[in-house]
Amino acid sequence: MKPRMTLRWIVFAIAAFVMNFPVLATLITAFKPPGEVSRNPSLWIEAPTLENFATVLTVSDRLNVYHYLWNSTVAALIGALLPMIVAFPLAWAMVRRGVGRGMLFPLVVNLRALPLIIFAIPLYMMYSAAGLLDTKVGLGLILAVVNLPLALLLLVNAVADIPAEIEEAAHMDGARLPRLLIKVVLPLCRPALITTFVFGFITAWNEFLFGLMLTTRDAVPMTVGASFFFATSGGGVQWGTAAAVMVVAALSPLVLGLVMYRRITGSMVAGAVKG
Amino acid sequence: MAQLRIENLSKRFGNQAVTRDVSLDVEDGAFCVFVGPSGCGKSTLLRLIAGLETADSGRIFVDGRDVTDAPAYDRDLAMVFQSYALYPHMTVRDNIAFALRTAKRPEPEVAAKVAEAARILQLEPYLERKPAQLSGGQRQRVAIGRAIVKAPKLFLFDEPLSNLDAELRVHMRVEIARLHKDLGATIVYVTHDQVEAMTLATKIVVLRDGMIEQVGSPLQLYDDPDNLFVAGFIGSPKMNFLTAYRRGEQLVIPECGGQEISCPELRSTIAEGAEVTVGLRPQFLGRQGGQSLELMIEIVEHFGSDSLVHARSAGAARLLTALVENGRELVSGQRLEARFKTEDLLFFDQAGQRIR
Amino acid sequence: MTPGRSFENAILAGPLVLFLLAILGFPTVLSLVYGFSETSFQTLTTPQFSGLRNFRDVTADPTFWQAAWFSLRFGAITAILQCGLGLALAVYLAPLTQRHGWTVAILIIPMIVAPAMMGLMYRLVLHEFAGPVPHYLYSWLGWSPSFLGPANVFKTVIVAETLQWTPFAFLLFLTAYQSIPQDLREAAAVDGTRPWRLFWKIELPLMMPTVFVALFIRFIDGFRVFDNIYTLVGAGPGGSTTSMSIYIYETFLRRGEIGKAIAAAILLFITAFVILSVAQRLLWGRSA
Repeated sequence: MKPRMTLRWIVFAIAAFVMNFPVLATLITAFKPPGEVSRNPSLWIEAPTLENFATVLTVSDRLNVYHYLWNSTVAALIGALLPMIVAFPLAWAMVRRGVGRGMLFPLVVNLRALPLIIFAIPLYMMYSAAGLLDTKVGLGLILAVVNLPLALLLLVNAVADIPAEIEEAAHMDGARLPRLLIKVVLPLCRPALITTFVFGFITAWNEFLFGLMLTTRDAVPMTVGASFFFATSGGGVQWGTAAAVMVVAALSPLVLGLVMYRRITGSMVAGAVKG
Repeated sequence: MAQLRIENLSKRFGNQAVTRDVSLDVEDGAFCVFVGPSGCGKSTLLRLIAGLETADSGRIFVDGRDVTDAPAYDRDLAMVFQSYALYPHMTVRDNIAFALRTAKRPEPEVAAKVAEAARILQLEPYLERKPAQLSGGQRQRVAIGRAIVKAPKLFLFDEPLSNLDAELRVHMRVEIARLHKDLGATIVYVTHDQVEAMTLATKIVVLRDGMIEQVGSPLQLYDDPDNLFVAGFIGSPKMNFLTAYRRGEQLVIPECGGQEISCPELRSTIAEGAEVTVGLRPQFLGRQGGQSLELMIEIVEHFGSDSLVHARSAGAARLLTALVENGRELVSGQRLEARFKTEDLLFFDQAGQRIR
Repeated sequence: MTPGRSFENAILAGPLVLFLLAILGFPTVLSLVYGFSETSFQTLTTPQFSGLRNFRDVTADPTFWQAAWFSLRFGAITAILQCGLGLALAVYLAPLTQRHGWTVAILIIPMIVAPAMMGLMYRLVLHEFAGPVPHYLYSWLGWSPSFLGPANVFKTVIVAETLQWTPFAFLLFLTAYQSIPQDLREAAAVDGTRPWRLFWKIELPLMMPTVFVALFIRFIDGFRVFDNIYTLVGAGPGGSTTSMSIYIYETFLRRGEIGKAIAAAILLFITAFVILSVAQRLLWGRSA
């Protein structure tokens, strides 16, 4: 068994290295002083420095990273919480009473497969008329739509896992619908709610297209803000700084994802197999 | 406590009639057991009383009040589910208190009632635990605690002992019987186990295919069954049934090689040559009695004090069982002269109805 | 159903339905209006009905067909590559990941990084001066290919997408593989089945539904790709990496041809819907 396991470890190491190479390289580049970057493209840092991070984290008129981070956070929170709030009651009604099981459920779940760009254009125009263009709320709303299919799917599965007898017992105990939902069903869905939130937050944070189209200045999220650093405006790209920006941009979802990876792996599989 | 009255209750699921025109009266303080084979509709009947199902027709009265159209949470009943259905995310204390808090009782009253229920059921050491940390028997007591704390009009039990192992089942049976006596509660209890029915009930309702076969006290059903089904269902080991026909004052039993028994009590309603089904409990077949059948022993099961003998008449198809005291010397292959008294025979007509 | 019930159900379903109607329903109506009209950014509120003109413009545009062809090829190739690699990795590494759960965490990192960021990271990694890949390729092998040049750019974006999303397929297959009941394997072992035959004849057939689902999902995601290609190469040299989504984006924002962009979007929607329905019937029609 031993030699076969060693071979597996080697394969793992290669796969992990190759797939994560860009992330590694970016991380390394972020610690190289600006002068060194174009001179030394290897993976070895001659003179490690925190200079790039300092540049990124100080506010300047060219870049205010906190502005982008804050926009991303607010928009992602809306994009993660709103679907949960809206899908939960419907999920219960779908499982226990068959509401919308024939049409609404497939409709929402299939949204996942539609290229959302087809809504982006009319959405742009609708937002522009409604004054939602370049707002965090506006961005958050469409992010909520993106997360809606998985939220509904996960919550439907979570409610279905609750034995009907527990709800019957609550009925016998005198609980009407609001109390039943809030005191009994909701707490029992907690794991699914956490999973939905984590996965939704990461997906919302990582969104680029809608950020690009629907914001210009006030509500620019981190993903789009980071890409500004690659606009070669006068003098080429400052790779050191750009790398540091990308590290900052990728940090939240990465930390959240690694801490909660068991939960999101479960939700990804559920979303895929059942959807 | 209260009495229960059911009038002409019917329910179908799709094309299947699950409850057919059932009417029943349960007195205040009775322990009424619904018993019957799988699919007989006993659980459905219980759920109809609870309000978890709505009847197609008929009426239900609890303590004189018509609850037929009332939802489950307005009927003032308590139910113990087969799986206990405890709230997994709440402590034992909160599980028991839930119904009282839903009714917005003041907290001191809630605390007092929970403490009292915990005392009766010996749950005090477990009040802060969650259901996952309890054993099966403990969970069941919590389920019962949740029920008694509401001081309901009726207690409904849906096969509460099925999930317990044999030893615990016997123990909990005694506990439930004691609860009934101490609380003076009116209980409706569903089980498929006729031993539970016999030992716990003051009144048994035997159901088959959605209809009531017979209602009576345990001993009534044991001694005086109305039909073949009840006779075969109640009593363990199961009653022996033989087909026989009348010849004058004799009963000829083809299934026992044509052996005849002399039976002066044969009713005049049984015509000459008419076929009847004769029932005899294994407990009444053995060493005592004026009549006998010549049988060959096939298998003997020794229980220590008694032995269950499975025997048949040589060359015949029908296997009979006899419960014999101190049958240790009986072995397979032996001949047995199985004795019985004709007073212990029960007669049933071709339709399965009892001939009295 | 009692009237109380219908009211309750309406309240339970209401929020989601209203939300969808507002955010998607209304834009859909707008799409239909603008798809069949002549508009520009200056005349947004006064579209002029123009029938099928936009659709004719779109279908006459060679860039549109180039983009459609690109998306099809891209989706198919990346789906197959990701699923192949993912399946191989999942099955081969299963004993390892079972005992050391943290290895899964490392392998899924690419999925957690935003595709847009990944695109930028690849831009860095492949950069002629600042990127390690050209550096090492040159110093070790004497190669210096132009990754983003017209000859290689297609392969480059395929590789980038594959490397980022193989972990997704890996995860799906790992779960499917682990959910095969262990006693099936044990029974096969007692019957004298060797590992390769076990995989080929027993495990793979049991995983086939997952394989189809994975292929389908990755194809859909590849078909509608935008983020990582856009940040990596934009429309690409000669428009060679313009996917359907990029085409629509450019037509709308860069060229301001609103009606045409919407017409393309509508065509894309219809295609996706058809593919989805067909796939659903194939995949679930029998079991449903």
